[in-house]
Amino acid sequence: MLFFSFFKTLTQQTVTVELKNDISIRGTLKSVDQYLNIKLDDIVVLDELKYPHLSSVKNVFIRGSVVRYVHLPPDKVDRGLLEDACRREAMAQKGKAA
Amino acid sequence: MADMADEAAAAVSEPLDLVRLSLDEIVFVRLRGDRELKGRLHAYDSHCNLVLGEVEETIYTIEDEDDGDETVKTTKKQSDMLFVRGTLSHPTVLASDSNDR
Amino acid sequence: MENHNANDSKDPASFLSSIIGVPVTVKLNSGVVYKGELQSVDGYMNIALEKCTEFVNGQLRRNYGDAFVRGNNGISRALRGQDHTQSMNER
Repeated sequence: MLFFSFFKTLTQQTVTVELKNDISIRGTLKSVDQYLNIKLDDIVVLDELKYPHLSSVKNVFIRGSVVRYVHLPPDKVDRGLLEDACRREAMAQKGKAA
Repeated sequence: MADMADEAAAAVSEPLDLVRLSLDEIVFVRLRGDRELKGRLHAYDSHCNLVLGEVEETIYTIEDEDDGDETVKTTKKQSDMLFVRGTLSHPTVLASDSNDR
Repeated sequence: MENHNANDSKDPASFLSSIIGVPVTVKLNSGVVYKGELQSVDGYMNIALEKCTEFVNGQLRRNYGDAFVRGNNGISRALRGQDHTQSMNER
């Protein structure tokens, strides 16, 4: 749930999603769900010459499982808060995999 | 009570504890597809989804030369803040005390 | 071969917990090999190694202080204690 909550704090921000097929899409993060599926608005494909087939697309829904990376705006991430939330979730989860 | 909580927080009783103790440290991550990341660990979960800051990514690709030889090419990329999808982070997260990197 | 040591129980989980602290070799599906002291293992077969070395194609590639090896997708064939009389079957 940590990353679902984390991504919800980043909605309306500009992010770049790099897919496992190497396509990178920049856009406004509109919404995210528990699977980390992502909706982006006003998208731009970074290597447009190589991937021209998306040039007329404005909005996308991206299945979470095809995501390799999401590049985030660093000034919108509170590192201390994120680490504390992470520690809290880790302690709550402790022993689940034992 | 607080002592017990502190003890639990410090102990490495399961592998993910090692990752937890690496929060806010520089870690080295090997991904599948001949990719490596080095950066500061800000978050992780049990799927090994990660958030890393000040990341350097190294990608190793094999290039075919004209004479038929193969050479390994390395590409480096920087990112200030990166979410890494867990299912592809194949094996390793390393703590900052790695000797040679 | 009969084993009477209390630690040498038959099920894999207790075998793994009996070799904590022992130098082991972990081989991944990719063929990469990690050697180090087994710090801990969990139910997903996530593994923590101390004093870890990484071998690619049999060649030493890197040294790490501690290493976390993700379970499930990663680990395959052998987790073997060196200097340990008992070993899991290697396939």
